[in-house]
Amino acid sequence: MVRKMIASATLAIALTAGATGAKAQDAGKPEAQTFTIGAHMPLTGTLARSGQAFNEGMQVAVKMCNAISPKYQVKIDLIDDESTPAKAVSAVEKLAADGSVAIIGGYGSNIIGPASDASDKLGKVYITAGAVSDELTKRGLKTFFRINNNAGYERGIATLIGDLKPQKVSIIASTKEAPALLAEGLEKDLEAKGIKVTVHKFDPAITDFKPIINKIKLQDKPDIIMMSAYENDYVGIIRAAKVLKPNVKLMVGTWSLATPKMYTEFPDLMNNVVGTSFLPFPVEVKSEEGKKFAEVYKQTYNKDIEYLSTLSFVETMVLCEAIFRAAEDGSLEKGGLAEQMRKTDRDSLLGRIQFDATGDNPNFSLSMGQHRDGKIVLVSPKSAANGEVVYPGLPW
Amino acid sequence: MSVTSPATSAPVASSRFQGRGALLGAGLVILALLPLLTGASPYMLGLLISALILSGLALSWALLGNLGGMVSFGHAAFFGVGSYASALLAAKLGVPVLLAIPLGGVVATLSSIAMLPALRLSGPYFALAILAYAQIFRILATELDWLTGGAAGLQRYPGLPTLFGIDLADRAGSYVVVLACVVLFAVVYVLLRKSHVGTALRAIAESEDATRVVGVNATLLKSWMLFLSAFIAGVFGALNAHIIGFLEPDYAFSGVWSVMPIIAAVFGGYRSVLGPIFGAVVIYLFDQVIAKSLIPVGHQILLGIVLAIMVLLAPNGLAGLVRRFFTKGQFNKTSEKSHAGA
Repeated sequence: MVRKMIASATLAIALTAGATGAKAQDAGKPEAQTFTIGAHMPLTGTLARSGQAFNEGMQVAVKMCNAISPKYQVKIDLIDDESTPAKAVSAVEKLAADGSVAIIGGYGSNIIGPASDASDKLGKVYITAGAVSDELTKRGLKTFFRINNNAGYERGIATLIGDLKPQKVSIIASTKEAPALLAEGLEKDLEAKGIKVTVHKFDPAITDFKPIINKIKLQDKPDIIMMSAYENDYVGIIRAAKVLKPNVKLMVGTWSLATPKMYTEFPDLMNNVVGTSFLPFPVEVKSEEGKKFAEVYKQTYNKDIEYLSTLSFVETMVLCEAIFRAAEDGSLEKGGLAEQMRKTDRDSLLGRIQFDATGDNPNFSLSMGQHRDGKIVLVSPKSAANGEVVYPGLPW
Repeated sequence: MSVTSPATSAPVASSRFQGRGALLGAGLVILALLPLLTGASPYMLGLLISALILSGLALSWALLGNLGGMVSFGHAAFFGVGSYASALLAAKLGVPVLLAIPLGGVVATLSSIAMLPALRLSGPYFALAILAYAQIFRILATELDWLTGGAAGLQRYPGLPTLFGIDLADRAGSYVVVLACVVLFAVVYVLLRKSHVGTALRAIAESEDATRVVGVNATLLKSWMLFLSAFIAGVFGALNAHIIGFLEPDYAFSGVWSVMPIIAAVFGGYRSVLGPIFGAVVIYLFDQVIAKSLIPVGHQILLGIVLAIMVLLAPNGLAGLVRRFFTKGQFNKTSEKSHAGA
C-alpha cells in the first residue's frame, strides 16, 4: 500500500515537473504573431458551390503557410456575401473593422467591383480569383490584385482553335457578364485569324438549346461549336447537339467543363469535349507545392483538387507570402502590403504569377483539357500538352 | 360642466393630431440621426444605408398599393430604370450626380407610361403584367449594350459628389442623403393621403366602381399614383447605383427589388406611412446583424420564421402592433378616468 502511494506520488511529481518544464520551454519560445485575412464568398444561393470550393482552397493554403512559418501565422475570417454587392461591401467594412490585414474577394465582377472599391477606401489590399471583367483593372486602384483574367481564358481557347485551323466557328454565349465578355474577345481573336465566327447569345434562363443548335446545324454549318457559358448550360447545349447531331468536329467550352466531376455526372455527354484546365486527370502535379497541396487537400476533404479551389489556393498563398514579407520588414501596419504584393514573382499551379501596375496578372493563360473516357488529357498549348487532341471528336 | 360641440372639437382634435404627428416625425428624424451623432462605424452606416434604400422602395410600393389599390410585383423595373438612367446621364452626358438622381426618377416615371395599359387590369393580373414589364426592361438593358454596357454592365461612373465641403460619397454623407430622401417622400406621402385626392384614392382602393359612380376619374388618379411610385422607386434606384458604383442588368433589375419591398411593407404594415419604412429597417438589420451573427450561413431561415410569426400574429404589421398597444393604453386610461369619475 505504502509502495503504491510512493509510486503514485513519484508519478505525480514527475508529471508536474514535466508539465512545468514544457511550459517553461513554451515560454522560452517566441509566440507567433497571427494575422487575420478577411474573405467574403457566396456561401448560400446559386453560387454557393463556387464559394465552398474557393473556401476549401483558401483553408488548405492557410494550413500550408502556417506549417512553414514559425514566426507568423494567418487565419481566415469568412463572411457570406450572399452574392449581393451591398452585402459584399458591408462584409469588407466589417472585416476591416474587425482587424483583417487584407481581403480575399468572392465571385463575380458585380460583387468584386463595389467590394474592392470599399476595400481601397479603407486602405486594405484586395485580391481575387473570381472576376475577369477588364473594367476592374481600369479603375486605377492601388490595392486591387487578381491572378486570372478574361485575356487568359481567351488566349487558351484561341490557341487551341487556331491550331486546329477550322473554317467556321459558332459561339453559343450566355448573356451573363463573364461569358459575354469572353465571347466578344474570342470573336475578334478568331476573326483576326481568318476564321468565320457567328455568335449566338442566349438568356441564362434558357434551358432548351435545340432551336439554337438547329440554327447552327442548318445555317452556320461550323467545324467547331464553342460554348461560353456555365455548367448547366454546357449540359443543355451538348444534350441538344446529341439529339440534333450537327455536322461539327469538336465541342469546346470554357471554365468548369474539363473537370472529373462533369464526367462523373454526365459520362454520356462529356467524351471528347474540350474545356479550359490547368491540370490533367488523374492529377499529375509536377511542382513540390502542387504535390503538397494535392496531398493536404485529399487529407482534409477526401477528394482530388479541383479548378476553383486551386485558384483560391494560389491567390491565398501569394497573399500570405506578401503578408509575411511586409510583417518582416515592418511595413504591414504602414500600408506596405500593396508594395509587397507588387513584388510577387513566383511559379504556381497556374504558371508564373506577377502583378502589373493595374494589379492584373499578365502571365495568366490556361491549357485546354479533353475528356477521354473518364480521364482529362491536356491537349493545348503544345508546351503543356500530355497528349494529342482527338479531332474530329464528339460525344455522340 | 362644459360641453364642446362637435363642430369645434373636430379642428381641435385635428390640430392636436397634427401636433403629435409633427412631434413624432421630429423624434424619428432625431432617432435616425443618432448613428451619426454616436459615431457609428462605416459597417453599421453601410447596413443602415442599404436598409433605408429598401425603405424608400417599400414606401413607393406601399403608396401604389395603399392609394391606388394596385399590387405590384415589378418594382424592380422602376428601380433598375432609375439606376441606369442616372448612371448614364452622369457618365455619358456629364450631368451632375445630384441632378442625375431626380432625373433618374423622371426617366423611371416615363418608363411607367408603357405600363399604363396594365391599369385596366386589377389584382393578380396587374401584378403579373407589371412583373412581365420588369423582365422586358432587364432584357433591354442586356441587349442595348452600346448604351448600357450589356451584360458586363457599367463600372466607371461618378459617385455622390462633395457638397459644401461634405463628402457625400463617404458613408456618413451617403446616409444623410438617403435619409433625407426617405423623409422627403414620407412627407409627400402623408400630405397626399390627407388631401382630397388621397381620400378619393383610398376610396378607389376599397371599391373602384363605387368611386366611379360618384364622379371620380379613377384611371387618371391611378395613373398619377403609378407615376409617383415609379418616380420614388427610380430615385432610390439612382441613389443605390451611385452609392454602390456598379450596375449590371441582373443586379439592377433583380427580383429582390420586387420582392423585398413587399416583405418590408407587409412586415411593417403597408397601410401606414411609417410601416414600410420601419419594416424595411427592422427586417434588414435583423437579418444582417442578429440572424447572421447567430447563423452565419443560412441565416435567412430566421428571417423567414420571424416573418411567418409576424404575418400570423399581426397581420397589420409592426404599425398595427404599435397602434394596438397605444389604443389599449388609451382605453385603459379612459376606463380609469370613468371609474374615478364614478
